[in-house]
Amino acid sequence: MAALWLRGAGRALRAGCSLPAAPGPCSRRGCGAAAALRTMGFSPEQARRLLALQPRLGPEHREAAATQLLLLGLSPEAAVALLERSPALLRLPAERLRERAEELRRLGLDGGRLQRALSRCPQLFHVPRKRLEAAVRLLRERCLFTAGQLREVLGTCPTVLLEEHRTLHHQFQYAYFRMGVRQKAMVDARLFQMPFAELRNRHIFLERRGLYETPHKGQTQTSNPKLKDIVQLSEKDFLASVACSTPEEYEVFKKLLAREEEEKEEEDVDALYTEDDGDDDDDFDSDESKTAQE
Amino acid sequence: AATAPRVPPTRLALHYFDSSYSLHLGALWPSVRAALLCEQKYGALLNSFAAAEHVPQELQLLNAADFVSPASQKAQQAQQGAAVGEARGCQEGSGEGRTAMQEGMVTQAEMSPPLCTSISSKIKCYTFPRGDVTRFPPARPDALGLLDYYLLDAASLLPVLALDVQPDDFVLDLCAAPGGKTLALLQTGCCGHLAANDISVSRTKRLYQVLHSYVPREVRDTVSVTSYDGRDWDQVEGGTFHKVLVDVPCTTDRHSAMEEDNNIFHKRRTKERQMLPLLQLQLLMAGILAARPGGAVVYSTCSLSPLQNQCVVQ
Repeated sequence: MAALWLRGAGRALRAGCSLPAAPGPCSRRGCGAAAALRTMGFSPEQARRLLALQPRLGPEHREAAATQLLLLGLSPEAAVALLERSPALLRLPAERLRERAEELRRLGLDGGRLQRALSRCPQLFHVPRKRLEAAVRLLRERCLFTAGQLREVLGTCPTVLLEEHRTLHHQFQYAYFRMGVRQKAMVDARLFQMPFAELRNRHIFLERRGLYETPHKGQTQTSNPKLKDIVQLSEKDFLASVACSTPEEYEVFKKLLAREEEEKEEEDVDALYTEDDGDDDDDFDSDESKTAQE
Repeated sequence: AATAPRVPPTRLALHYFDSSYSLHLGALWPSVRAALLCEQKYGALLNSFAAAEHVPQELQLLNAADFVSPASQKAQQAQQGAAVGEARGCQEGSGEGRTAMQEGMVTQAEMSPPLCTSISSKIKCYTFPRGDVTRFPPARPDALGLLDYYLLDAASLLPVLALDVQPDDFVLDLCAAPGGKTLALLQTGCCGHLAANDISVSRTKRLYQVLHSYVPREVRDTVSVTSYDGRDWDQVEGGTFHKVLVDVPCTTDRHSAMEEDNNIFHKRRTKERQMLPLLQLQLLMAGILAARPGGAVVYSTCSLSPLQNQCVVQ
């Protein structure tokens, strides 16, 4: 698929970059840089925008970064927009951009998904490789998502790769143990698209209203609302159709719950100073300490 | 062989509430249930005996307001020509859990206007506006050591307001401990004499503490604290009181849903719990007998259960 996009850029590059530059005002240095960008397929306007980013940076950086993004399959406009949102990408060596894209492809993020993920979360380029790998290990080995499920999760919620591991794990455990939901449902519901705090708000609201019950051991069927409905619906629709409540009630509830959790945290911190206990993690295995920390 | 799993009393309580109250309250039950499981709506009952003139202003600065006097005015307006409501009328059982004071409850149980002419009380109780979850700062003592306000569940005040104590009334609080409502009765400034009774000696201690922390000596002298079984009150004295408050022991729904300790839904207290409606009825009868002709009795619980409310009264 990247080959398609290479059409414009590649041909020009092979030709040795000798298409005539468009007429227009430009600095002596800018002219050459703008020309180079134009041969890659950027319009004069797009080239101008690119040159405006990090102006003290040498043109090779700009071109290299832009090339990589085009190779990924981003359109010229998408590439410019991405760089405008995250000009720090220009400081990364092109090799790094290429490698990162490769790594993500290997994890199962490919084609359109990869483009979308990178466009939406440019931080994916910056995250250290070890963290990426640890996140994947967490999802595969601790949360026991299958390879296919992992691909799906990465495609729909690329931010899992950026999330604090502890939070990610807690969110998974919450859904698994407290909500009684399994991996397949988590994937279908795109669980990780929702911030953990918001998930708790919605779930506990339902629970206290008597509309959600943690399944007992061995219980397979429940009348609980689907995780998909809890996670995917807008707040307005969630309140109207799942919680059968009003925005006013929910606002007050959230305030009360926030305070409860704050006070619980303070209690827990106090408890830490009095006990020597390790984590209270329920888990499939309990070798949390073996996980590589970066 | 595995032993049967122990179900915590709070869970038993909630199961019981789910089955009986969902029938009774229908679509309102989810909101009420959530409200029971979240922090209650506090009220700050002002202590008119303390030298604390600055307090109303301080509370107003915090955005709290007295809910009693506006309600009293509304009630007087509504008196003209409005029909009094059904079993939710103040003279009958008023389950506190259902009142407008519940945090987060959109459904309002109106404070039906009382059958008497006015809520002529000097009671002042401050609450934060609807949806405002701010907490009151702790009460502080005045120069003489009397505390400036008493924090309680705002709904607890309603039975006292309903009683509508008039000047020089003889008042009986049949199940007075731990003393919040007793204190509120004294705040009316109208009790010619107040008899505060509770069967439990330990809880009566708390009642004494409340009286000592809030009420000056000369007013405390108008209160007689006793520890009889309320059902035997007719043996103490009968037919003498203008106003009788019967705030009976009940399943204390909020407490039962939230606290494991001292929970009446614990298996070993099943018999006690099942006997409650009978006990409540006996106490109400005693209260009625203690009232003089033309006197008024208010029966209240802190439960939503029709078995403990409407059924007892009827």
